[in-house]
Amino acid sequence: MFNVPAPDAFAVFGVSRTLDLDEQELEMHYLKLSRECHPDHNRAQTTDDCAAVLQRSAEINDAWNILRDPWRRARALLEAESAGVLERNKKLDPMFLMAALELAEEVAFAESDRQAALTDKLQAAIDSDFTALQKDVNNGDFDAAAKRVHQSHYHLKALHDLEAKS
Amino acid sequence: MSDASASSTETTRIVIGIDLGTTNSLAAVRAGKTPRVLRDLDADPLTPSMVCLHPDGRTLVGAEAKALRLEHPERTVFSVKRLIGRSASECHSDVVNLPYQVIAGERDLPRIKIGDLELSPEAISAMVLKHIKATAELALGHSVREVVVTVPAWFDDAQRQATKDAAALAGLECLRILNEPTAAALAYGLDGNNDGTVLVYDLGGGTFDVSILRIKDGIFRVLATKGDTHLGGDDFDQLLAQRILNLLPSKKGSEDPYVLQAVLSAAEGLKMRLSEHDEATLELDLGDHGEVQLTVTRAEFEAAIAPLVQRTLDCVKSAARDAGLELSQIDDIVLVGGSTRVPLVRNRLEALTGKPPHTEIDPDQAVALGAAIQADILAGNDKSLLLLDVIPLSLGIETLGGTVQKLILRNSTIPTSVSEEFSTGVDDQTTVELAIYQGERELSKDCRLLGEFKLRGIPPLPAGLPRVLVTFLVDADGVLRVTAREQRTGIEASIQIVPTFGLTRDEVRRMMIESIEHAQDDYIAREEIEARAKAEAMVRGTKKALQIAELPPDQTFAVHKAVKALQKLLDADAEPNALKSASDDLTKVTTTIADDVISAAVTKALKEEQQQ
Repeated sequence: MFNVPAPDAFAVFGVSRTLDLDEQELEMHYLKLSRECHPDHNRAQTTDDCAAVLQRSAEINDAWNILRDPWRRARALLEAESAGVLERNKKLDPMFLMAALELAEEVAFAESDRQAALTDKLQAAIDSDFTALQKDVNNGDFDAAAKRVHQSHYHLKALHDLEAKS
Repeated sequence: MSDASASSTETTRIVIGIDLGTTNSLAAVRAGKTPRVLRDLDADPLTPSMVCLHPDGRTLVGAEAKALRLEHPERTVFSVKRLIGRSASECHSDVVNLPYQVIAGERDLPRIKIGDLELSPEAISAMVLKHIKATAELALGHSVREVVVTVPAWFDDAQRQATKDAAALAGLECLRILNEPTAAALAYGLDGNNDGTVLVYDLGGGTFDVSILRIKDGIFRVLATKGDTHLGGDDFDQLLAQRILNLLPSKKGSEDPYVLQAVLSAAEGLKMRLSEHDEATLELDLGDHGEVQLTVTRAEFEAAIAPLVQRTLDCVKSAARDAGLELSQIDDIVLVGGSTRVPLVRNRLEALTGKPPHTEIDPDQAVALGAAIQADILAGNDKSLLLLDVIPLSLGIETLGGTVQKLILRNSTIPTSVSEEFSTGVDDQTTVELAIYQGERELSKDCRLLGEFKLRGIPPLPAGLPRVLVTFLVDADGVLRVTAREQRTGIEASIQIVPTFGLTRDEVRRMMIESIEHAQDDYIAREEIEARAKAEAMVRGTKKALQIAELPPDQTFAVHKAVKALQKLLDADAEPNALKSASDDLTKVTTTIADDVISAAVTKALKEEQQQ
């Protein structure tokens, strides 16, 4: 089984391919597109048309799910700019992996009084990952950006695990 | 779409909304802005979701069936919503305390056994839907074909499909399967002043749902939903019923369907009184099985149901988490379902959320009213409103080692789709099988197998060469559709679906044909029974009247003659038309008689007869 890439979310929404999307504007745009394309407002007569309306509506919903999440948005952007870039840059720096491992242990054994401080630390790491990612994208260095996306995954997962503990 | 449908010459399309509940069902329609409930004259708008297959061959639905549940407990079916779209083994815990018999049929599907008849839950639901359809048609004055039917948000694919099948069996075209809490939010948020984040808490007879929605400019977007299809007011009744059964002198009582039904009814009454009073007393005479006298305080009742209420609150918290919200960010709480009348439910929910819940809309009617609004939207009469709902449970396929790879995550807005490519493992392989699961767990054994999809017609090629693109699309009903195409040849692979639960497509088709054939038989049978019952009543009534009224001999003779003629036909089991015409003759004789003396007496006697 192979994952088939979803259609380019930026193209589906008709917005420019950038990381800096205004989230409120994006939501307004999503609601507008939904009004125009949702099957409830577009009752098709034939089975073929029906399938097309459904497919279009599904594409809009799926694109919205990608674009509203900064990290999924970044993945979609990189894949659209340079197909296969995420797959090519999976190998991460051993130093980073060591640090990530230590972080995971810190989370696993964190006492409840340490959790708030650790959450702040992780959130700061994620924010700085994203800032660096934006810089790489703006410089057109998609390979570096892809590495940032993979690195951020460790921080996001650590944060998720920490939240699950409380 | 062109504007032709909006032309003024065309009559407005009417689609009605139906709340097909575990305990009660009702229909509503929206013509104009405000939806209204469709009821049978002054009758209670709630139709009990009950069907009685009377020993005399009649099928009674709704209030008529409910009235017979104590007399014919083993032939009066209710709460089938707990069985629909599930396997008999899954239903096991739900059927132990039912007065009617549920057996495991083919493919371990639950079948309701009444005498020699074995009925699917879909068939019973179809009877309820037919009854609701007839009531709605009477109230509207025209026929109804297109409907929106509501289901608990937590219903999975199989339960949704089964509900659609029930509508088809009832001769209805189901334009949409709508989630109940979403429908309620629609009814609640209609006046346009309720933009914000709303939590709908829906505790019905048999199911619990919680949904969190964001309402903005006429768009109702579900952010997250959570629930339990086996938690509701019926469970409160069961706790009280168990207490009553424990007081019975003999344990045999709980095996007797008559006793069981009487106890369940008494428990329901007790629960309702405990919502109003601090204490309620029950005196139940069960004949041979003894008498029960019981006083329950509200505190005792609340202690008993507290764990169940806590389960609903855990769902509320989990839904908020899924929506990425703190409970304090929720603007309004809306209550739906009859069981939200229980004070403990309201108090605990208010304590948790810190907000008094809204109770402006009748909790029994909100879902049907909301369904009517969605029906109106689908009819194309209102473009200002739009619902964006989600899929409640993740969908995935089984991969090597019995794990489930998620394809579509829970709380994804629907419609949604995902495509995957599959290939073959051996040379010249022409079919690929996929097992589809629904649920959140990692292993397939912990999720529900919805069905097996067999892709056929793959061109015979060396292993690994065919590239079959399979698209999984969840439509706006929350029902999965699968299409497949071989990429190299462009051949559309055909898909054979074997559902694990519910009816196969062939079974639905066959039942629909049978129901059309039976409709004629049912009609004739009913006509026969009615003509006979009417003739018998007339004979008895007239004989009584003759004793009361003092008539001249010639008139007495004429009446006697007509009565005798009718009696003769009855004794000979005459066909309904003959009975009808003889009954009409008798009516003529009695009504033309002097000063309507006898006619008045007949009417009076008939009335007495009916009241008995």
